[in-house]
Formats: sequence, C-alpha cells, structure tokens
Amino acid sequence: MTPGPEDTPGVRRAWGWVAHLLSGGTTPWRVWTDEGRPGGRVLPGAQQLELLRRLNLVGGVTPELATRVLEASAPGRGRPDLELEGSVDRLAFGPPPVDPGDLPDDELLRVATSLIADDVVAAGLPEPRRVGTTRPWRTRYRLVGDPLLADPRRADLIARGRPPGGRGSVILVLGTDLGSMLVHAWTARSLAEGAPAWRDWFDSLARSRTVPARADLPRVARFWTDRVGIDRVRIVLEPALVPRLVGVRRPLATAPDLSADAVDLSRRVGQVLGLLAEPARRRALLHQTLAPHLATHHGPGLGVPPEHAAWVHARAERMRDGLLRAGYAVHGDPDSLLPVDHVGASEPSDAGVLALALRLLLEKPLEKGK
Amino acid sequence: MSKRVILHVGTPKTGTSYLQDVLFRNRRVLAGAGIHYPADRFDGHFLAALDLMRLPWGGLEAEAVGAWDRLAAQVRGHDGTSIVSHEILATASRSQAGRALTSLGHGDGTEVHLVLSVRDLVRQIPAEWQENVKHRSTITYGAFLDQIKDPRRESRIATWFWGVQELPDILNRWGHDLPPEHIHLVTVPPAGGAQQLLWKRFSIAFGLDGIDLDLEAERANPSLGAPETALVRRINRAANQQLAPSDYRPLVRELLAHQTLSRRGRSPRLALPPEAHPWVGEITASWITEIERRGYDVVGDLSDLVGAPPVLKYADPDHPNERQVSGAAVDAITALLLEGARLRQSEERLQRELHDTQVALERSYLRPTYRWREKLVRRLQSGRLGRGALKAYRRARGRSSRPA
Repeated sequence: MTPGPEDTPGVRRAWGWVAHLLSGGTTPWRVWTDEGRPGGRVLPGAQQLELLRRLNLVGGVTPELATRVLEASAPGRGRPDLELEGSVDRLAFGPPPVDPGDLPDDELLRVATSLIADDVVAAGLPEPRRVGTTRPWRTRYRLVGDPLLADPRRADLIARGRPPGGRGSVILVLGTDLGSMLVHAWTARSLAEGAPAWRDWFDSLARSRTVPARADLPRVARFWTDRVGIDRVRIVLEPALVPRLVGVRRPLATAPDLSADAVDLSRRVGQVLGLLAEPARRRALLHQTLAPHLATHHGPGLGVPPEHAAWVHARAERMRDGLLRAGYAVHGDPDSLLPVDHVGASEPSDAGVLALALRLLLEKPLEKGK
Repeated sequence: MSKRVILHVGTPKTGTSYLQDVLFRNRRVLAGAGIHYPADRFDGHFLAALDLMRLPWGGLEAEAVGAWDRLAAQVRGHDGTSIVSHEILATASRSQAGRALTSLGHGDGTEVHLVLSVRDLVRQIPAEWQENVKHRSTITYGAFLDQIKDPRRESRIATWFWGVQELPDILNRWGHDLPPEHIHLVTVPPAGGAQQLLWKRFSIAFGLDGIDLDLEAERANPSLGAPETALVRRINRAANQQLAPSDYRPLVRELLAHQTLSRRGRSPRLALPPEAHPWVGEITASWITEIERRGYDVVGDLSDLVGAPPVLKYADPDHPNERQVSGAAVDAITALLLEGARLRQSEERLQRELHDTQVALERSYLRPTYRWREKLVRRLQSGRLGRGALKAYRRARGRSSRPA
C-alpha cells in the first residue's frame, strides 16, 4: 500500500512482518517488532496479510499460494486494501490504517472468495457424462417442484437414456417438508444466478409471506393441471419413490449434501464467478466443480430461523390442505410437508465460512467435479 | 504497441457521460487523427472496468467477462494514441491499478497519461447521494451524510464514496508509478460558467484540440431536484422488493428519473446542507495543498474545487415540500400511463400480427393434401402394424417428426 521509496521504521516493521508471513509465520501484527527490507513494489493490504496469517495458522501454505494471497484484491464493493496501523502515519486522506487482527471475517472472506473463484475456473468442468441411448419403451415423465430434489434426478435419468417429456408424460411434483424446501430454494439460487445472504432472503420471504415458485407445490401442480389435466399430475413427498414411478430400479442421483457454511461460501464464490464466466458456465462450475468438493467438508445443515418457524408451519399446513382439497394423487404422507424439528444452523456464520474457505485454498489443486 | 495511452479514471459526475458519448460517436473521426477509442458499444469501457475490479453490477457483469483483457489487447494492438475512459475506475485498488497499467503497456515502452476530472465536494456530495437513489438505494440524505462523515469509513456507502471522490488517495493508487507531469487534473468549472469551458479543458487534456468533432450530446446523466429525488427514494422503498434490476433500469432510472423528473427544472436543487460546509472546506483545503505539493498538471484551476458558498434557502430532501413531491408524482404517473399506453398499443399490434400468422398457418394446414396426410397418420397410429410402418418410414426418411 505504501509507495516503495518510503523508508520509515514503521514501513520497515511492516516489511519484516511480510517476510515473516511469507516464511509461514503466525505472529499477529500487534506484537510484531522486527524490521525487514522492502520485498516488493508496494506493501500488501492488511486484509491480504491477515488472510495469509490465518492460512499459516492452519498450515501447509505453498510459496505460490502465499504470493497469490498477497497480490489479490478484494472483489466487489467494500473496504479498499487497508494500511497497517503503526506502519504509516495517519494521513489527512485515505481510509484509516487498521490492526489486521481487528478486521471482521467478512473482509478476509472477500479476498479468499476471489482466490477460490480463480481456482474453480482453473479447475474447469469435468468431462461431460456420456448420455445413454434413448430408450423408446421408457416411462414418460416430467420431474418438477423442489429444484434440489428434481434437477439431479432428472439429469441422472437423461444420462441413462430416459429424457423427460413425451406423449402422455406423468408430471411428478417433488417436495418435502416446507422448511427444507425453502433451504433448497436458497441453495439452488446461490448455485445459479446468485442470492442475497440467507437472513436477508428469508426476512424478505417472511415479510411478503410468500414462498419461492418451485417450493410452492400447489402452484406448480396447478400450472401442470391446466396443461395436461389433474389425472397426470402426482405429488411425490417421498423422494425414494421416484425411481419406481419413472420405471427404473437403481436409485437416482441426489444433490450434494452441503452444510450451511458451504452453501454460503458457494454463494459468495458465485458472485465473483459472475465476472469470470458466462452465466451458464458459472452455474455449471458451481454445480459440477465447487459443490461436489464442498460436500466432502461436513458441517451442520441450514434450517428455518426459529423466529420464522410459526409462519412456515402455517404456510405448510395451507399447502397440505390445498393439495388434498384439489384432489391430487399424493405419494407419501401429506403431513411430511410440515416442517420438522431441525438440528443444525439457523444461519451460516462468517467464522465458519472463512474456516471452510481456508481449508479449500489449502487443498489446491481443486479437483474437477466428480 | 500503443505509443501513448490516455487513461481517464474518474471522477463520477464530472461530465464523463458527455465526454464518453462524444468519444464513442466520433470514433472514426478520431481514428483519422490517429487516436483510437476502442469500443464496440457505448458502455464498453464500463464493462471493462467491472471486469478489472470484479465488481458485480445488477447482472450486467455477465456481459463483462474478459472485457478488460480484450480492451487492453485492442489498446496494445494500436500503433498511436489510445483513450480509455470510465469514472468507476477511480475506486480500483492499488494492485488492480497496477495490473491495468501493466496490461496497457506501462513499463513496456508505452507512455501512460492519467486524467482525473474533478469537481468540488459541495456539488459531488449531493450528486453521489442522488446516484445512490437512482441505483435503488433507500438511504436518506441525512443517513448518507452521517456515513460519509464517519472517520472509520466502514460502511459500503462510505467506502464507495471516498473510493471515487478522495482525490489524493485516487492519485496515490493510480499514479504513484507515473511522473507527475503525466498526471492531468481537469477541474470542472463552477456552475453558471461558459457552457463549453469544461469541454475545452477535456479537449486540452486529451489532446483533441483541432479535431472536428460532433459535440451534440446524445447521452448525459441529468440531475434531479430535491423533491424529485425524495420521490424516487420513496418509489425505491415501495417497489424494490417486486421490481427486478432489469426492469428498474429502464422504468425508474431512465423513464422516470432521466426522461421525466430531470425536466422539472424549477424545483429546488439538491445542495450541501449549510452546516456541512465547514467540514467540506477543511477537506478541500487539505486536498488542494497536497495536489499543489505533488506538482501535477492542472487543466483549469484548483480553486474550482472550493465550491459555491452555502445556499440561502436550503431544501432538505428528507423533509421535502409535499406539494412539490405531489407535482413530481403526477408527472411520474403521467409518464408511466403514457408508457403503459404505448406498450398496450405495441401488444395489440403484435397480437394482430400473431393472429394473422396463425390464420395463414391454418390456411396452409387446410390444403387437401395436408388433410389426407394427417388422416393417414392417424389411421396408421391406431394399429400395431401401422405404427411399425410409420416408424420404418420415419427412420428411412432420416428424421423424426414425433413430438418431443
């Protein structure tokens, strides 16, 4: 941050800390005293230096990764690269210098997500799965409803030579308890076009008392009833029944099981990927490269925030009653639409997301999706 | 390799839309004078800036993938002078600025000149709040002022504001590798001065003097009065949840703000509150001292940065005259009604065209040969043997007309 020619005890102390961190050191800035010689054109920002220190605390930082961290810029809107408090005098202009130990995790995450996005782009997409020969005698179906239940199963069926649609298709509207469907809707959006933070998104739903289109099973069922008639629309609340309903024996692929922190990290990385890949490729990179990798890092899943449990329950009851009243065939227990007690996180935590981001950076090279 | 690159990095609200419009529309004339303005679309350099800074912008960033590298390659591929201009570049970090300069040829034989157009904070502060409001913000003017006055500068509003407005800091980030004589500050003249004075200064800084350019503006970023801005903020509060960014831009920002409300020229203008003037004066004085010390090339006069004295009758947009807001609202409703009527007429025309097309299609289906063929297919489909024959025929024909 400070122009090269400047040579003061504070700047020399900062360069000493940079060298310490580059050699794997973990001493916080506030207790660092040794001086060093300039090791570059400008001093890196406080966010980059603190991120490197946190990585060193976990261990296994390669020289290449250390250099990438110090050269990275935080993407998007937010605080600029900051000076180290004590390395330079407070000027009449520019953002105030900081003790990097005081920076919130969110600031470090901005830099980390940019690096992870680069890794995801560099890893690329896995080889496309070979699509089997289309089976003419297949059961005609369409899978709609909850995106995390329907989309991976549909993709698996397509790969097995059983594409959806065709004359007389039965419409299978997939769902589960409404709390999980809301989590699925936010997850699907985070892994696609992008979503606000979980709390912001959920608070907005709660204010308008609406549910996302694909989690609104009566609406989805009504849409298809208008097109094909009620006899061909089935509500499936037990996903294990889907293989039998579409005429296959082997179980179908399911979505990777992501922790609350993993979904939030995907969401944040997705924001940066929006500037590195076209929308379709960004979505594919998130689904096929990042998500399978994050699924290997276990953690508590996401659940409905307790203060919103009452309206979600009431909405689920309305949904159940509406479907039964309309006379749809239901596979599974209609009461399974009601939210279940969830043991997990009511929201992702910045500290958890940062810890996950650090692990991901240290596990480089990121493997292509499985 | 470009011999010379003129890199204009800001600041916002200094006549940049007008400048970029003139440069874009006169690309051919400029090329004739050996000056390259590499842009296929008006907002080409904006997209490149988003890409360089990895800055999401309501979905527009999807069109920005790889835009900076393409722009830099075009600049490097031109053997002469190239111009790059966008005001949001002002907020680039030092490493992003370093990457940009290197990619444009700095340090590799290209002479890079940095241009920063600057305007007094007395006008910039209300203008920045208004820009926030025109980009869906619901923040009050008072809260905006509180955030930018907070010395910690931790909020997104404050980091953005100072990122694009704090002149010595912008010049530190972009210019610390460049000799001061290659850094040019263009000051925006005080309000009410000669119309062409700002263009004259731009023309000197960019080396455009003597080139016969069409200066008729097609694009500008007009400003709103205090009651009009208060109205747009209220619209944001009411409609933000329902209105997608792709609809907000044409309907609120363009139709309401730019095309309708900006024409209400008689309403009180947005201004800096009188009590904020001493604070702004102190900052400005420190900036002028610093800029003079550094010895940059100033096109215009640094005293332009001092700004006008406090207005005698301050119109607070947080407590606007409701009569004036109602007047603005009536204009807004009228504009939306006219737009609604235009869209209805357009829809009716499209429906008529669709109907005509459907009738023509049906007429072609009603030809006897089509009816015979349809009857034959129906008959064949009713029996097992017929279905087999149909399948064999389709296979032999080499394509399937079966429904998907």
